[in-house]
Order: sequence, then C-alpha cells, then structure tokens
Amino acid sequence: MTALSSPSAHRRLRYACWMTIAALAMFVWSVIDPGVIPVMIAMSVGQVLGTLATMLFLWVVLSDLRRARVLDRERR
Amino acid sequence: MKSIADLLVLATIVFALIAGAIMVWYLIRQPALTAATKLALLAGIFVFPLLSAMSGNVSGYETTQKRHFCGGCHVMIPYTDDAENPNSTSLASLHARNELFGDRNCYRCHEDYAMFGAVTTKATGLVHAYHYVKSYWSMPAEDALGKMHLYNPYPNSNCMHCHSTRLPGFEELADHKGALESIREGKESCVSSGCHGPVHPFSKKKEEEAQP
Repeated sequence: MTALSSPSAHRRLRYACWMTIAALAMFVWSVIDPGVIPVMIAMSVGQVLGTLATMLFLWVVLSDLRRARVLDRERR
Repeated sequence: MKSIADLLVLATIVFALIAGAIMVWYLIRQPALTAATKLALLAGIFVFPLLSAMSGNVSGYETTQKRHFCGGCHVMIPYTDDAENPNSTSLASLHARNELFGDRNCYRCHEDYAMFGAVTTKATGLVHAYHYVKSYWSMPAEDALGKMHLYNPYPNSNCMHCHSTRLPGFEELADHKGALESIREGKESCVSSGCHGPVHPFSKKKEEEAQP
C-alpha cells in the first residue's frame, strides 16, 4: 500500500485523535470518580465523541481505498 | 484485586492509556500514512477505545444501579438517608437491609422487570435527569419531597418478582385471601396506605401537607 500524504486525511485523523482522547478521558474520569455527572457524561458525550472519531477514521480509510481504485483504473 | 468491578476499572484505564499513547505518538510524530501507521491508528482510534468504552460502560451501568448514584441528586438524599438508617421502619429501609437488595435497593424496587427492562429503566432515568435539571436543581430537598411523584402507579409485579403470592403463608392471611386476584392483577396496590405502604412515609406526610 502506498503512503498517502493528503493534508485533509491528516487533518481528519488529527481531529479523530483529539476526539478519541477526549472520549477516553471522560471514560477514565467516570470509573475513577463514579458520580452522577462523570458517568452520565461518559455514557452520552463520550460515546458520541468516540463514535464520531471512528467514523472520521473510516472516512479516511474509505477515501484511501477509493483513491487506490482510481489509480488502478488509470493504470489499466 | 477485589472484584470484577475493580477489574473493569483497571481494564478501562489500561486500554485508554494504550490508545492514548498511540494517538499522542501520531499527533507528535505525524508519520506518513503507510499501512503500518493505519494499523496503529486502527488500534488507537478503534480497537483499544472500543475495549475501554465497553468496560467503562459496564462499570458505569453497574454504578447507576447503586444507592449513592440515586443520592447524587440532592432531592433523593432524604430517601437514601432513610434507606441507610438502621433504625428506620419504612418498607424501603427494611428492604435495603436485605442482602438481596443491599446498596442497590432503589434500583431493585424501581427497575422494570421485562425483556428490555434495563433499557426502559435507563431511558426513564434520563427523563428523571431532565426533570431534575428543569425543576428541582435549586429546590431544597425538603420542599421537593411533597412534589415528586412516580410517572405511573407502583406495579405489584415488581413486588411479586420476589413475593410470589403463591405461598401458603401469604394466601392464608385474611387480608390477602379476600383480594388475591386483584393483588395479582395489580388492581389493588401492595403499597397503598393500610396495606404495606407508604413505602417512604416521610415523603407521604409532606405530600399530604402540600395538598389543600
């Protein structure tokens, strides 16, 4: 697989990383200090952030695969 | 290691740390998106966070069943204090002293016992949170006592989850004998005044005072 250097891919992955870090921080907070606010935030906001981060990552992967197919057609 | 709960806490933290380390590496080094980088990111953004979220969710779900979680909203403190009072004779407190209920006595009595009971109980919990923020946030707990109500009458089926109503001792009691069918069908409430209620007598008193 060739290395991609698309700036938008890197930007999306950076957003995904920050969102995942935030979501994980919420989960860790909820298990260390299991009060009402931390648990509710982790199980709602944390969940949404984690899902969005995964979707961003999948977007980058799918774009990459699509680009690879375009390159294949050009080669043919 | 004390219990599965501790193991879940540890798993949540360890998986989060591994994922965090991968993401910090990516953010600092910003490597080219080779197959190896993508695999590392798959682990850092998807696999380890998923594992952390799974153990964190189970741990969170367990936490939401505990009495201290219910008492997290200040208007519930009189109820949790009563449940923890070893001298209280309220039905709620008597049940809290039963090992089967223990520190989950609020949840055990108020959960929905059905196939999707846990889901509907948690969905109702979100409605509680909404009402708490909307109406009770700044209200003193004493004032809130007479104002809070269940959305629906307390179902006998929740009592019958433990008290089957099929034992001879139950059926032979004169008060039960005359109303067996209506108790089982939920037409006559187990927790009505004069039977086994009120379950939280201090709140009932406030409710009666509030009525004109």
